[in-house]
Amino acid sequence: MAAPSGAAAGALRVSVITPEATVFEGEADQVVAPAWTGQLGILRGHAPLMALLGTGTLRIKQGASESVFHVSGGFLQVVDDVVTVLGERAEAA
Amino acid sequence: MAKARELKGRIRSVQNTRKITRTMEMVATSKLKRAQDRVEAARPYAERLAEVIGRLLNPELASRYPLLRQPETPRRAAVLLLTGNRGLAGAFNTNLIRQARELLRDLRARGVETELHVAGKKGLSFFRYQGETMRTGVTDIGDRPTAADAERLVNLLMDEFTSGALDAVYLVYARFNSALSTPPTTLQVLPVQTPPAAEGEGRQPDYILEPGADEILGQILPLYVRNSVYRALVETVAGFYGAQRTAMKNATDNAGDMLEALTRTYNRVRQAAITQEIAEIVGGAAALE
Repeated sequence: MAAPSGAAAGALRVSVITPEATVFEGEADQVVAPAWTGQLGILRGHAPLMALLGTGTLRIKQGASESVFHVSGGFLQVVDDVVTVLGERAEAA
Repeated sequence: MAKARELKGRIRSVQNTRKITRTMEMVATSKLKRAQDRVEAARPYAERLAEVIGRLLNPELASRYPLLRQPETPRRAAVLLLTGNRGLAGAFNTNLIRQARELLRDLRARGVETELHVAGKKGLSFFRYQGETMRTGVTDIGDRPTAADAERLVNLLMDEFTSGALDAVYLVYARFNSALSTPPTTLQVLPVQTPPAAEGEGRQPDYILEPGADEILGQILPLYVRNSVYRALVETVAGFYGAQRTAMKNATDNAGDMLEALTRTYNRVRQAAITQEIAEIVGGAAALE
């Protein structure tokens, strides 16, 4: 319930999970995901969201560094600054 | 002394066998470790998926998805059996095959037509020997099953279930409780047994759904089915190596016991031979006097 209040301090907690393994787990400032309906940017304090993923590039930005994955299928969930990407396929690019 | 030489031969043979079983035990142990890691790695995805489905699904929606169709009287069911490709794993494969046969018999007794799909050399050769017709049989799934393997196995079944050609799909696999407990398990994959809704916690944030719950579920349910099969594949592999390790450990231990007994007999025979020889010499010398 402490979602928006603590948002200023923390970053997004992001995990990218495929059926076979957890491919990414860490913090990020911003996530840009290829949703079913178009690119979707997520910053902290985002409202709870559940979105289907299309096929495309998932970018996880943390400061100056950026992790990039090719994902296809699956979905993405955001609750309380926790972003979970469940990709049917996800590969580091 | 023929008896002693015979014994010596047997001792050597048992020693060689023990060497082999011990090596196999070690190989199985290391493969088990890796397979176990894969079982672990598959868990988060499956949990999240079940959680989300439980959250989105409500009874009114349920009737709309073909994968949730609950036929009143199932007419035709498919059984998908997963076994190991190799043996030397105790009763592992036999147990799986028995479970599948019981399920088939059960279904037929209830007047359901059945079709059998098998993955794994052991299951395949058993049912081929039995003259049972199998609709599909694959043996090319190795130690590291992929999500693509699962997809290949189950997509046809999902299509046929959706089209109404099949009314139920059962999966027989080895559940991996631990390396020592890998019971054969029957799982109904279709119609999808929906995971229990994550209620009770009252923590049901108002999600923005993109697109709508409808489309999301429509996309996610097949993922769930595929994932169930993928997990079954991974667990069966881990279970196989668990069973093989146990079998090979027992074999190694038994070989040790046998060696001990054989060595004891061998020493006794050898001693008897020496004693007899001395007795003969003494006897011979006494005769000369």
